Amino acid sequence: MPDIPVSPVTPDTPPDPMNWLRMHTQGAPEGHWDELRNRLSASADPAHPPGLLWSDFVDHLGPEGLGSLNQRMASLRRQVRDNGITYNVYAQTDQPQRPWALDLFPLMIGAQAWQQIEHGVRQRMALLEHIMADAYGPQTLVARGLLPAALVQGHPGYLHPMHGAAPVGGRYLSLAAFDLARGPDGLWWLLSQRTQAPSGLGYLLENRLIVSRLFPEAFEALPVQRLAATYQALVEGLKARAPVATGEAPHIALLTPGPYNETYFEHAYLARYLGLTLVQAEDLTLRGEKIYLKTLQGLQRVHGLLKRVDDTWLDPLELRADSALGVPGLLQAVRAGQVLVANTPGSGFLESNALLGFMPALAQAILGEELVLPAIPSWWCGEAAAVPAALQQLADQAQGGVVKPTYPSEGARQGFEPRLGRQMDQRERDEWAGRILRDPEAHTVQSWLPPSHLPVWDDQAAGDGALQTRPVILRVFAVTDAHGHWQVLPGGLARLGTHEGIASMQRGGSSADVWVQAPSREAVNTATLLGQTAVSAPRQRLVTSRAADNLFWMGRYSERTENTLRLARLGLDVLGSADQSSQRLLGWLSRMAQRHGLVQAEVPTAQQSVRVFERALVSGLWDTQQTTSVGYNLRALVRAANAVRERLSPEHAQMLEQTETQFFDLWRRAEQAQPGRVPPTPLARRSLQQTSQQLAALTGFQTDRMSRDDGWRLLSMGRHIERLDFLAGALALAMEARLFKEQAGFDGLLNLFDSTISFHAQYQQSRTPQALVELLVTSPDNPRSLAWVAQTLRSRLRRIEHLADGATHRLAALLPDPPTDPLQLWPQDSASPEALTALLAHYRRSAREVAEGLSGLFFTHSGQAAHSVGL
Amino acid sequence: MRLSVQHETVYDYRPAVETAQHTAHLQPRETALQRVLGFDLQICPAPEGLRHGQDAFGNPQAWWTLLQTHTQLQVVARSEVQTAAPLALQGSQPWEAVREHFRYRSDQPGDAQTRFVFGSHHAPLDEQFAAFARSCFAPGRTLQEAAIDLMHTLHRDFTYASQSTDVHTPALQALQARRGVCQDFAHILIACLRSLGLVARYVSGYLLTHPPEGQPRLVGADASHAWASVYLPELAGSPCGGWLDLDPTNDRWGFGAPGEDYVVVAWGRDFADVSPLRGVLQGGQSHTLKVGVSVAPAA
Repeated sequence: MPDIPVSPVTPDTPPDPMNWLRMHTQGAPEGHWDELRNRLSASADPAHPPGLLWSDFVDHLGPEGLGSLNQRMASLRRQVRDNGITYNVYAQTDQPQRPWALDLFPLMIGAQAWQQIEHGVRQRMALLEHIMADAYGPQTLVARGLLPAALVQGHPGYLHPMHGAAPVGGRYLSLAAFDLARGPDGLWWLLSQRTQAPSGLGYLLENRLIVSRLFPEAFEALPVQRLAATYQALVEGLKARAPVATGEAPHIALLTPGPYNETYFEHAYLARYLGLTLVQAEDLTLRGEKIYLKTLQGLQRVHGLLKRVDDTWLDPLELRADSALGVPGLLQAVRAGQVLVANTPGSGFLESNALLGFMPALAQAILGEELVLPAIPSWWCGEAAAVPAALQQLADQAQGGVVKPTYPSEGARQGFEPRLGRQMDQRERDEWAGRILRDPEAHTVQSWLPPSHLPVWDDQAAGDGALQTRPVILRVFAVTDAHGHWQVLPGGLARLGTHEGIASMQRGGSSADVWVQAPSREAVNTATLLGQTAVSAPRQRLVTSRAADNLFWMGRYSERTENTLRLARLGLDVLGSADQSSQRLLGWLSRMAQRHGLVQAEVPTAQQSVRVFERALVSGLWDTQQTTSVGYNLRALVRAANAVRERLSPEHAQMLEQTETQFFDLWRRAEQAQPGRVPPTPLARRSLQQTSQQLAALTGFQTDRMSRDDGWRLLSMGRHIERLDFLAGALALAMEARLFKEQAGFDGLLNLFDSTISFHAQYQQSRTPQALVELLVTSPDNPRSLAWVAQTLRSRLRRIEHLADGATHRLAALLPDPPTDPLQLWPQDSASPEALTALLAHYRRSAREVAEGLSGLFFTHSGQAAHSVGL
Repeated sequence: MRLSVQHETVYDYRPAVETAQHTAHLQPRETALQRVLGFDLQICPAPEGLRHGQDAFGNPQAWWTLLQTHTQLQVVARSEVQTAAPLALQGSQPWEAVREHFRYRSDQPGDAQTRFVFGSHHAPLDEQFAAFARSCFAPGRTLQEAAIDLMHTLHRDFTYASQSTDVHTPALQALQARRGVCQDFAHILIACLRSLGLVARYVSGYLLTHPPEGQPRLVGADASHAWASVYLPELAGSPCGGWLDLDPTNDRWGFGAPGEDYVVVAWGRDFADVSPLRGVLQGGQSHTLKVGVSVAPAA
């Protein structure tokens, strides 16, 4: 292997790009196609010049040329972060989301090579549609011996309850993905196909937006085919096939398993881009064989579902009974032709590797054509005649075969990891032969195809970065347009493996943009420009009952987090100060901490033991089991916010995640250093200060960056209900404790109401109870006064009167204004101001009643899990 | 024989069910031996959108929605059927030849009944089933003889014990315990046949409650009953399509049905395809279930 010279590359001394490229990559491993040089890699290669596409690319890098790759890589990372593109690695609630992995260079495909892919994919799409139509209809392919029943009715992805159902809108398939690799012969070969819920359409769009902006000149020069028209064709196709009554506008929704799915980012992103409503199963309900969306505005008909849920989870009534991701009765609605589901449930059997071996004969029988796009040779061992060839393939040391499961893991049938024959010793090979003979149908052997290698820029490498190469798999998509024709997206998602081989996104692979060369500049369809705007105009923004519920709780937990945080900070300030003489203040703090669950019930009060109480207060901050302190509320806030992630700007979502992560980091580090040890108080105080600032930013996002629809109003009401309850309660306890008698108590109360500055600006040093009541209760200008909070709540309740036939009007009536004159609430020289006490009690009760009222009106059933009987 | 059937199911829920989706296989199907003269389905509370149709196996199936809050669901299915005696047929094909018939060979016609050869949730493929069956499946024996012998063996060696299992008890566990109810016996028999590469399906139905004088009362007569059916492709052209019904619970067999006193409701790959009443509920976390079946000669 040749040494790679390390020469510092700076913009001042632009190198000759060709020479530089030649020097900076050792090329693909021998036996793999080298995308850079456009030829099969051989050991003598390194001096070989780049191919045409790459020469062109390098020529159009702009004035900075190759010296700017590190800056471009940094810009790419920043955009991935700013756009909030994430990929959940199987998804635990408390695990941070992983940023999407994207490489700098695009995979470029020449116009001619693409033509073959496009024709081949379209032909395969036609075949798949035909096979599915036959399998759920006359089943002649099985009867004629062209397809084994074991790969149709014997495949767990074949849904017997769908047999005989006509496809809604005339097509079974609206969308399919095809994974291709470029072999040592420079040709593209089909590896597998995905029809149930293929992922990638959203990520590839983000890849395109980022990478095309990093190399604008090269992008125009190739020229690169645009993508938007195909997305539009997908949506138009769904709308054309959706069963719409005359006069109705088609309503298509994207059905997601939810925020904890690994590709949820893409679901939310695609829904926004395509102008579809993002829904989860629990948002939908069946009425008279039609599917409806449960919204704040009532039930809204849904005519079509682009689904990202695997088939067997779709309907707990007829399929997996334990599925919470499905809509009971959905299959009945599909069979009745009342809802288009894309793809029609039951396409899973088309995904089997074993099917590939039957495709040449099927193409002949069905279309009378040869396959344009070859698939890697596959032997299904269920056919006795194929077994010897399959075993021979496994034993072949030079070529090597892979043994793969014919079926996905399902119920009693356990799948296995694909295994490369070359890596087996004789004993293992015999074992596999035995396994195959015992259960031949479950095993498929495929030839191993060494995939081509794409250059990638590694800016972390020693020196100023280095070119590496990675194996690449290309995922392309076909969609069914409004006329029932198939269109192939001129682009795709390139997935890059590690050195060892192709890795899935879940196992640390990366991705790249895919540039398909247009045959000419005129052929570039720029009619619809790709951008942040949706390809189809969204309908009136619907607020699902589930989203409304989560927004309401997002508001409540935001406020609870702030309240408990302010209370905890005040507590630590007071306990840590030299002067702890105010027994009243200590008593009030203890009672507040107990009431809001900042410390466990059995903890001594601050008056009994300052030290013990302080430790309990600190340890409770991160304890999400026994207390309801800051950590508990913060977690709950993040959980509620995650459920409505699609409504949050990327910055908002990131800030939430960052706030939670950083808050718990302190505790995690302390735990690691010494398990069970409570972090020292000064550290806790610093952490609270930081979190407090972050919460202020989050409040800013809530008030300034979210559209003010009815969902947002529920969030706002959630906040104000909590604020009303917390402040009224704090004030009532303060009066019981006679906090106003002492300056320390007075100041503590102002602090908790976040009103210290306002107070001193208005009243200077006059600490009278009346001044306090004016600022904290009757003032119409202080956003922390009870009058202000009640007034805001009332106005929000009135704004949503249209949703529940005016029922919220009654709730608004529970929130009267306080008298404008503080003296009416606390007469001069009165020791026990009864009017104020009564008002505070009234507000606390009202807060509870309004919360319950809203729940009853809008959120019943929305979080309740369904369950099955009679299985 | 003219038989009238009443099948009553009552669910009591606590707390109340808010909404529910149900589907039922309660209407007997037409078979070579059986005509359905009448069927009536009463559902309380009154359902929305009650729909009758057919499932993928040709069985009548009903679907409905309950939208009002309820603490009890009562479903009463009444049917009247005319049954006939099993067909007198004789299969002569050795079981290995039948097994080969279902194996895929390129360009050889595929038999549509092959869909019942694959393992299913309640009747999976397993070597233990095959091992149990092998004593009856000597080389060269006819499938008919061997299958009937396997049914005898099951009947002889297994203990019928009501309440010993529920629908979630895997057939393999029931095989190891050598005990179960009619449903388990049917699943075991099916799993045995499939594990040998043969085609078998699950049949749900009823039995005459009070037998004609002088004959013993059969087991499973006061509830819904289940048995197995094995497919003999050489007899596919006969009115019963080549299906030999085997009731291991009562040691009865016959082509088209185990006897004239049997009512066939539905068939499928296993119980899951033909569950009499299935539902998805919102609310009603706990429930009690009462089922009553009576089958009597029609007046």
